[in-house]
Amino acid sequence: MIEDVEQQSFGLHCEKVSHWFGETKVLFDLNLKVKAGQFVSLIGPSGCGKSTLLRAILGTHPPNEGRILTIQNGQLTQANHPGRDRGIVYQKYSLYPFLTALDNVALGLKLDQTTTFYRLFNWSGWAKKRKSFRDRAAVFLEKVGLGHAMNMYPNQMSGGMQQRVAIAQALIMEPEIILLDEPFGALDEATREELQEMLLRLYQENQEALSQSQKPPYTLIIVTHELNEAIRVGNRLVGLSQYWNWKEAGHDSPPGATIVYDKDAPIFKPDERPNYESFEDIRKEIRRYVYSPDELQSRYEHLKTNLT
Amino acid sequence: MISRPISRTKQAALSAFSVLLLLIGYTWISHRQHQVNPEDTTIPSWGQLADGAKKFTQPDRKGKRWLIEDSFATAKRLGAGISLGIIFGFVIGMSMGCIAPLEAFLQPPISLLAKVPQTAALAVYFVFFGTGMEMYVAMIAFGIIPTLAVTVYLAIKDIPSAMIDKAYTLGASHFEVAFEVVFKQVLPKFIDAVRLCIGPAIVFLIAAEMVVGDVGFGYRIRLQFKLTNMNVVYPYLAFLAFFGFLLDYMLRFLQSKICPWYQNDSK
Repeated sequence: MIEDVEQQSFGLHCEKVSHWFGETKVLFDLNLKVKAGQFVSLIGPSGCGKSTLLRAILGTHPPNEGRILTIQNGQLTQANHPGRDRGIVYQKYSLYPFLTALDNVALGLKLDQTTTFYRLFNWSGWAKKRKSFRDRAAVFLEKVGLGHAMNMYPNQMSGGMQQRVAIAQALIMEPEIILLDEPFGALDEATREELQEMLLRLYQENQEALSQSQKPPYTLIIVTHELNEAIRVGNRLVGLSQYWNWKEAGHDSPPGATIVYDKDAPIFKPDERPNYESFEDIRKEIRRYVYSPDELQSRYEHLKTNLT
Repeated sequence: MISRPISRTKQAALSAFSVLLLLIGYTWISHRQHQVNPEDTTIPSWGQLADGAKKFTQPDRKGKRWLIEDSFATAKRLGAGISLGIIFGFVIGMSMGCIAPLEAFLQPPISLLAKVPQTAALAVYFVFFGTGMEMYVAMIAFGIIPTLAVTVYLAIKDIPSAMIDKAYTLGASHFEVAFEVVFKQVLPKFIDAVRLCIGPAIVFLIAAEMVVGDVGFGYRIRLQFKLTNMNVVYPYLAFLAFFGFLLDYMLRFLQSKICPWYQNDSK
């Protein structure tokens, strides 16, 4: 399934993806390419199929039609199962309650790099590896600002701390792409902003890597219903919507949601307090193209194809 | 007022008081009974209880100490039965929770078996397993397997699928998901279920021992009851209660040691 080398710089390909549940059409002919290092904010009205798309990319619910390719072992491969190349951060149930913060983060290394057989029968080897996994997990916990809470269990942590651990848990795997499904939806405003800043620091690392012409380490798709968050964290805004002019495209009934908006977003430094009022123009535009059921646009009207 | 905590000393004092009240109450009832009939053995006085204690701690005519003999026999049967029940209950529950075809296949027999009263099915065990060790073990095991299996099965169904999916994104194999995520999550609930099963297991065993036993707590209680030697029966009941309490305590201790993350409110 190797495509040409230029294609390899895209961590994710969605090609003509359609999905439906019986009579209910959810996704229609959706095309999306995400380049390594991009922070994509996926926005859309509730019920438009953001979660369906995310689950399709994750591989737990592959699409009915079309294909989704991710880089697995260095090759573009169809994503029909969840795999270690795609990380996920959920809003809830993000952590394993029976592991401390440190072990939650180290779990991925343990599962990925050793087998049960090895852990059972090579005690000294496993003890050494375990130590190194934990040391590495500690580095990632420091990175998300939780150096002091390594031995806490999830039920001892606040919601914000749990999400930090969950992000570290995904980061440590160094996956090609990390999916965040409304990760800060249950948090208060202040915590939310702290965590946004944390993500922006990761984006800064990306840009440093790019400036040294290395592969940027983090690629994110963040689903959010909070437009300010989408604009602040993402460097690319992708709007998914069922409100587009499908009659014009020759359909008799709504065929499902597709991408109707795809634009660059302003880039912020982590410590930079954005002026949310300056987002007004972008928000207006998004509301008009993505959220408004009354003003149906042609789907390509605002879609820059192959935006990178 | 409601659920407001009290100090530790108050708590201890009240607990001690309730035990004291029980002892005083017993002494008074026994005393009244002996005023009516000095030879009474149904509610033995403390002196009679001491005689009874002598009976089951000193060697009898065959040179056997009842308490030691009975404890050994009953504990062996109970231990073997519960162990077997734990192993099979767990394996069946895990397979039902993790493998959909097995879930469909095992659900009818398990839910049916769970509804059979073990004490009523005694005769069935006699027919199939005779009256020896195998019968006791089989009846305890079959008695607790359905409950344990269903507990494990439901606990697995309770695990959010997000946790399972995430394990795969962390590079887990199917076996690792079952062992590292499902098993560890289910373990404390399983220990809780085992704790709750000890009571029924003892009931099954004592019932069977009463019918066909030639040694053991059930056998001794039935025999001594027929002779209205209640000064042996009561201490034996107390031993059984203590034994059950001890097992329960050990399991709770085990749980707090291997699952420190689990918040158990069923003290």
